[in-house]
Amino acid sequence: MAPLLSVEHVSKNFGALKVIDDLSLSLEAGEALGILGPNGAGKTTLFNLIAGDLAVGAGTISLADRDITGLPAYARCRLGIGRTYQIPHPFGNMTVFENVLAGAAFGATRREAESYERCVELMRLTNLLSKANQAAGKLTLLERKRLELARALATDPKILLLDEIAGGLTDTECQLLIETVRAVHASGVSIVWIEHIVHALIAVVGRLFVINFGQKLAEGDPRAVMDSPQVQEVYMGIEAE
Amino acid sequence: MSATAAPLPAFRIERSTRTSWIGLAVAAVAIVVLISLPWWGGEDDLRLIVEICYTIALAQLWNLLAGYAGLVSVGQQAFVGIGGYALFGLTIIAGVPPIPAVALAGAVAAILAVPTALIVFRLRGAYFAIGTWVVAEVFSEVTGLLPDLGAGTGMSLPVAVSRAVGETRFERETVLYYMGLVLGIGTVAAVFAWLRSRQGLALTAIRDSETAAGSIGVNNDRTKYAVYLLAALVTGMLGAVIYLEKLRISPDAAFDVIDWTADVIFIVVIGGIGSIEGPFIGALVFFGLRYFLADYGAWYMILLGAVAVVIMLLARRGLWGLLADRYDIHFFPVRRRVRLE
Ligand SMILES: Nc1ncnc2c1ncn2[C@@H]1O[C@H](COP(=O)(O)OP(=O)(O)OP(=O)(O)O)[C@@H](O)[C@H]1O
Ligand SMILES: [Mg+2]
Repeated sequence: MAPLLSVEHVSKNFGALKVIDDLSLSLEAGEALGILGPNGAGKTTLFNLIAGDLAVGAGTISLADRDITGLPAYARCRLGIGRTYQIPHPFGNMTVFENVLAGAAFGATRREAESYERCVELMRLTNLLSKANQAAGKLTLLERKRLELARALATDPKILLLDEIAGGLTDTECQLLIETVRAVHASGVSIVWIEHIVHALIAVVGRLFVINFGQKLAEGDPRAVMDSPQVQEVYMGIEAE
Repeated sequence: MSATAAPLPAFRIERSTRTSWIGLAVAAVAIVVLISLPWWGGEDDLRLIVEICYTIALAQLWNLLAGYAGLVSVGQQAFVGIGGYALFGLTIIAGVPPIPAVALAGAVAAILAVPTALIVFRLRGAYFAIGTWVVAEVFSEVTGLLPDLGAGTGMSLPVAVSRAVGETRFERETVLYYMGLVLGIGTVAAVFAWLRSRQGLALTAIRDSETAAGSIGVNNDRTKYAVYLLAALVTGMLGAVIYLEKLRISPDAAFDVIDWTADVIFIVVIGGIGSIEGPFIGALVFFGLRYFLADYGAWYMILLGAVAVVIMLLARRGLWGLLADRYDIHFFPVRRRVRLE
């Protein structure tokens, strides 16, 4: 059977700058994959290509057996690709609840009234219930990141793309986030998680994929990948805990 | 982030607020007063109310386009003109009675909006704005080439057609008044119903972030397209009623960018873009300024411009934005609130 997600020989240039260079990657159903790489390596760009915010320069992207390379972002979302943005994009003048509800109403195939309960549950999961009626634009950065997660989950994704949601958290908060992501994974959602905080990543994912200059640098078991000489070279001083 | 197993707290979803009930009461009283106006108001009052009605309607539509769908059109005069000319063509050439002709004029505008959208939707941002203006100019030029509709100099509506609206002058004024009123109130009601619905949630999401709206499954293009067609349909009907009252049409007047679009933009920007309340506040300011300053000619236009610039600089979401931020009031309950019990 085809993997749940496959990215095959994908490239993306911004003018003369080659950001993704003939990259291939796949994700099995039920898997949690961690993505690591230095700043500017092309990680967020890869998410934009998978989610349809950017068009590929070359290559194909498939979901199960379906080629989705030419589909717009909203169609990919409805097929089951949910994402969070590294720089949060809240609907600033809508309330937190309405933000989550919009995800449930358009990304998932529920009727509005049926999604209320799910939205309340997701706001509780992301600890935003007390802010439900507050304008999303007035949230702090960390709250916005949690809102990104709640809104993406509201679309009932098969695959959840998480782009640096752990930055800036205290140790306790980070531990809670790890538990939340684990719970989401345990509920059957496949996960691709970009994160610089290696110990958080390793606590959740079963496989690591390291990107450097838009190309694959290493891939495989998290510890083996972190110990490999090429990753050590790029990440001097950063160790798997 | 708490465990998922615990039962959910009891909650309910509220759509109305205390201020929205006040808003509803005010609206009901205003509607009753307006319906009774022909019995106690003068002809000038009726005409002023009709003008306010169609101005607010145009402002609501432009707000839906620019404030929500991000479609900053400076070419809505295209559909006023098309509506006006369609009315003249339908009544004079095709012999359609005036009242059905108003509805058909809206349909004509909506149909012509389809190819127009194909052109302008390829453009983004400032290019979209310029594109809509150019298309309106093209419609104006083409209309000037139609000899049966008075070509470049325009034409008057035959007496027989205005007789068909009403036998006596009072009857005509009253019928035109109610048509304006129905269109004005109907437009506000339609915009309100749309924004309150599921599609309104999509439109509000697009207003706040197009990128994020796409990422959660909102079909941005289709939503924008629907807004554009609705605006064309209603603007066409408004154009038809406006020219049924004016009795005389010419390409320069019917496709005038100042009268049908610039004033409307002023109203929305001052009142507050991206809310239903904003265009009402803006219209209040606009008609107020006009009433007090109409005698000052050019100074009036300069002051209008100055007021708009100052408000744009100091309050990006207009006068209503200032109020709503400070007091959390909503006269049109389009939002959803969670109440934990
Ligand atoms: N829309 C764009 N136009 C031009 N250049 C871009 C665009 N988006 C990203 N880039 C460039 O592409 C490169 C990769 O960016 P990307 O955001 O994918 O990196 P990243 O791996 O996510 O980095 P970080 O860890 O800092 O988030 C960077 O050099 C960035 O400046
Ligand atoms: Mg990034």
